[in-house]
Amino acid sequence: MNERDRQQRLYVAKMAEKLRVGKISRREFIRAAAFAGFGFSSAWYLGGCAPARPTPVETAPKVETPKVDASMGSGSLTPQQQFLKEVGGKFRGTRIKIVSENTSPGLVISKLMKEEFTPLTGIEVDWEIVPLDQVLAKTIQDTVVGATGGKGQSDIYYWDQAWLGRFVNDSIPVDELLAKKDLAYPDYNFDDFLPQLVRDIASYKGTKIGVPFDIPIFIMMYRKDIFEELKLKVPTTMQEYMEVVKAIHEAKSGQGIMGTVGQWKSGHYALQCDATAWMWSHGGAHFDADGRPMYTAEENIEGMRYMMELGNYMDPGVTGWDWGGQGDAFTQGKAGIFISWGEFFPGFDDPSRSKVVGLVEAADCPKEVKLRPREQCGYDETPGISHQGGSCLAISRYAPNPDAAWIFLQWATSADLTARANAQGANVPVRASNYTDPRVLANNKVTPGTTRHFEVTRRAIESRMGTEPHLPQWAALATDVNAVEYGKMTTKQQSIEDTLKAIQEKTEKALQAMREYGVV
Amino acid sequence: MAVTPLAATEVARADAARAARAMRARHRREVIVQTTVAAIIALIFFSPIVYWFLVSVKPLPYTMTWPPVIFSEPIFDWYQVVILGMDPTIGAKTGVIYSGAAGDYYVIPSLVNSVVIGVLSTIISISLATPSAYALSRFQFRIRNNLITWILSTRMMPPVVAMFPLFWLYTQADQRLFSAIFGKGTSVLYDSLLGVLLVHVVVNLPLSTLLLKSFFDDIPTDLDEAAMVDGCTRWQAFTKVIWHYALPGMAAAAILAFITSWNEFLLTLTVTRTQFRTVPVFGSTFDVSAAGTEWGALAAVSTTAMVPVFIFVLIVQRNLVRGLTMGAIKG
Amino acid sequence: MTESGARKRRPPFWSSERPWIWLLPIIVLLFVYSVYPFIFNVVISFHRFDPMTKAFRWNFPNNWIDLLTNADFLKSFRTTFIFGGAALLTELVLGIAIALAFDRNQVKLRSLWQSLFILPMVVPPVISGLMFRFLQNADYGIVSNILYALNVIDRTEPLIGGTGRNVLLGLLIVDVWQWTPFVALIVLAGLKAMPHEPIEAAIVDGANRWQLFWEIKLPLLRNVLAVVILFRIVDLLRLFDYVAIMTSGGPGGNSETISHFAYRMHKSIEWGMVSVVGIVVLILAIIITNAYMRLFKVKF
Repeated sequence: MNERDRQQRLYVAKMAEKLRVGKISRREFIRAAAFAGFGFSSAWYLGGCAPARPTPVETAPKVETPKVDASMGSGSLTPQQQFLKEVGGKFRGTRIKIVSENTSPGLVISKLMKEEFTPLTGIEVDWEIVPLDQVLAKTIQDTVVGATGGKGQSDIYYWDQAWLGRFVNDSIPVDELLAKKDLAYPDYNFDDFLPQLVRDIASYKGTKIGVPFDIPIFIMMYRKDIFEELKLKVPTTMQEYMEVVKAIHEAKSGQGIMGTVGQWKSGHYALQCDATAWMWSHGGAHFDADGRPMYTAEENIEGMRYMMELGNYMDPGVTGWDWGGQGDAFTQGKAGIFISWGEFFPGFDDPSRSKVVGLVEAADCPKEVKLRPREQCGYDETPGISHQGGSCLAISRYAPNPDAAWIFLQWATSADLTARANAQGANVPVRASNYTDPRVLANNKVTPGTTRHFEVTRRAIESRMGTEPHLPQWAALATDVNAVEYGKMTTKQQSIEDTLKAIQEKTEKALQAMREYGVV
Repeated sequence: MAVTPLAATEVARADAARAARAMRARHRREVIVQTTVAAIIALIFFSPIVYWFLVSVKPLPYTMTWPPVIFSEPIFDWYQVVILGMDPTIGAKTGVIYSGAAGDYYVIPSLVNSVVIGVLSTIISISLATPSAYALSRFQFRIRNNLITWILSTRMMPPVVAMFPLFWLYTQADQRLFSAIFGKGTSVLYDSLLGVLLVHVVVNLPLSTLLLKSFFDDIPTDLDEAAMVDGCTRWQAFTKVIWHYALPGMAAAAILAFITSWNEFLLTLTVTRTQFRTVPVFGSTFDVSAAGTEWGALAAVSTTAMVPVFIFVLIVQRNLVRGLTMGAIKG
Repeated sequence: MTESGARKRRPPFWSSERPWIWLLPIIVLLFVYSVYPFIFNVVISFHRFDPMTKAFRWNFPNNWIDLLTNADFLKSFRTTFIFGGAALLTELVLGIAIALAFDRNQVKLRSLWQSLFILPMVVPPVISGLMFRFLQNADYGIVSNILYALNVIDRTEPLIGGTGRNVLLGLLIVDVWQWTPFVALIVLAGLKAMPHEPIEAAIVDGANRWQLFWEIKLPLLRNVLAVVILFRIVDLLRLFDYVAIMTSGGPGGNSETISHFAYRMHKSIEWGMVSVVGIVVLILAIIITNAYMRLFKVKF
């Protein structure tokens, strides 16, 4: 305390003592104490026990409401808009809720939502964006409350393909929704969705539980300029891919351009995606046809060896990078070639963030060394080097407003809207019509939000796509067992064999528990 | 002494002048040295924020490189996006900003939420903590010390562990209790101001109470007695007289409470959806996005969010130090 | 302290002479928000709860055995303590040194420097985590590159990346950056509150600055330091935000703290495990705090 404070306090203490021994009256004491300060004016202490002053009333902050566009005359509306206005209008004032990850379509759709959907229908949409693992945590919490007899907080769930098994009982099946004729969106045409996506990212054991929404998928992307300079050929086999990576690394790592780049952040789903692609491309898989884990199979070990060899041609920081770090590195021109999410591609041609504008080409992934057929895998696992990380939107079984949510969902995944979103760089080619829509084709050139890679993407989806198994525990196993154990492998704390053995054991244990509950 | 008075005066004067000069020089040197040291420390701690600010006013390719391009023509596009809520696809000097990495970048609502929640929860927690602290300081009762240990221990629970129980409590209470009272679909706790406030208040209560208790320990009990002799009940003695003496302590506790509330993340995330997201929760949405993290937007968001707290810190830091010197940590 | 007269009269239960009335709001709130989750956790920890099948079965003591034999948990335990110890020590040393520097008399523009210095405290940890993820990027991060240049770390073993050898240093930098100001601020307040007499007496006795610090100031700061250490221990024991945002516990599990382990279990829907972790940490924290408060004779 400073000197002044100290003096004040000494003075007050002295006065207090005088008061105690009866030398001064209480009134005198308080006056003395007040005059001594303590840094606030104090004459009204003498009021002693006067009534309290009223305290200000607290007010809640105002919630913003998006502006409604009143200029929409009914004559100029398309059938879809007419539908939104008439059928959606019945739910005016309803507030529907979604929680999703920060992925490409989100911004575009939430923007269009404010421009079109909400003004026409009067339905408010709360679109909450949180990190992927938080989406999972929140969705689980919501379904637990729902499953134990409460109402959910979400109307629409955003499900990564890896979580489907977990939530299979928590959504209203799409067929049931499509059967609601009074809520049918004009020309919704569910068959327009690519059948592979419906099967692999929106169904569980043949039941359609959601609507395909987003489809990041592994394609091969390489630096055309480096390939020309080093006179390299676009690789078509795994062997060639490795040679190309090595050649680039040897020629260019001195200038800070690594051979390739990965997404190897331990404990993050990205690492599981990377590892799985190499596993599949060498004939491996997670589960055999009887649903037993088969991590320790020779093919899987081969795949991991390949992956670890690639690691020699990456930046050492790679073990701390998720897909964000990987995308950043390639966009900043730090690697020559990689196989990863096609979602990165539109950003490469954006001069405001990229150093490789117009220099990147997309190509089909090299041919797998060996490919295990889908029939020989368990839980609908489909090996294929083009690992997909798609997601679907589903109407919650515990939704407070399922009908309004279904109207929104149809709008958000309609042919028109997905095409517009794609044209704005959202990279959600989930419908066959998206690939031929003139608005999308117009971006087939070097421009921010380019769609130059769509042909490759479509081929990847239709013939090369790899899908992780859909079992209830997969959401947890993929991230919190596999990605953690792979993390120990990529940081060389654990050999390839030990890693796969550890995953094998933990998976078996989890399956055992599921069997006890009759889940599988 | 054989020295003439005149000579003595002159010598003394010269000595004094020399001494004064030396002192002034020493003083100057001290000012320079001490100020430089303080400035260097401050700048070391401040420099990451400056660098971070630069990220927000440069095109990404200039910052994601080593050595970085420090000086470039600044672009304020991200500020237009995060402060004015402009569409990231328009208004960029470098052409169209790619909108692929999605997200709502408009930071002002969460900033308002953070400030409102911070201020209200601080007011509530201090007004709850003050009487409790007073009681803990003035009354001697059997389980007093156990109570203090318990209050402290509540702060030690890792938030992760309370996540699900809290979510459960909030949704169940809303659906089973409050819906029955206030009508179907009412959200009294979950994703409501009250719910978030309560969490923030509880997070702050233990620290504030213990801090304030030591302030009350410092105020002579004779003050209470004097008031009570004059006819006040103990409650009145407290509300009319005593708490004024704890004001500096309350200010310090309030500042710390505000900062804790400003920084709180996990529990806020658990009990909110879209209505009352605070700045940390909003910031976390930038964690990962598939097309690479929008560092520019994130940097703009965080520097924007820092402005109000920076002003706050500038205003309160003197009070904080002064408040803390009285009470809690007396030497 | 309480007047003896009041004790004789036995005031009625609702009288403001009774402590309960005063403490009621805080007791109720803390009960709901901390005892209830605790009980909830104790119940869950004896069961296995599967949300999908709604199965809720007695599972004692399997959750406990699973946890205490879990190698990742034991590692997270060790990491928490190593990191906590290092962070605490660094912050204390730096905090005291900086507080001494700010306590000098001739510092011009003191409140400007102080404000700039304590600014890190008000950057939400989530945001500072993201920020340092950028600043510590293995390739272009300025912090990394400065450390490369100073030969503190090697390019093949970056702060976040490589085999994860230096990841705790990376987290340490953030934690120290963010919380040293807190320590320094409180120590500074302690220095300002210090009685003048012993210091003046020591100066008269011809003590130099070094002796003054070790023999006079530091002992007088004991209470202050005890408080500061306690609050840092409590926070470090539940360190989560930086880990979750910057490393997800990696590389190779090298930065996984107890809180993050619990979070991972939470995501895996191993709520039984989460509950056990919660109970273990809470018991541990209470033991540490109690022992600590006895040791330092901290009195609130």
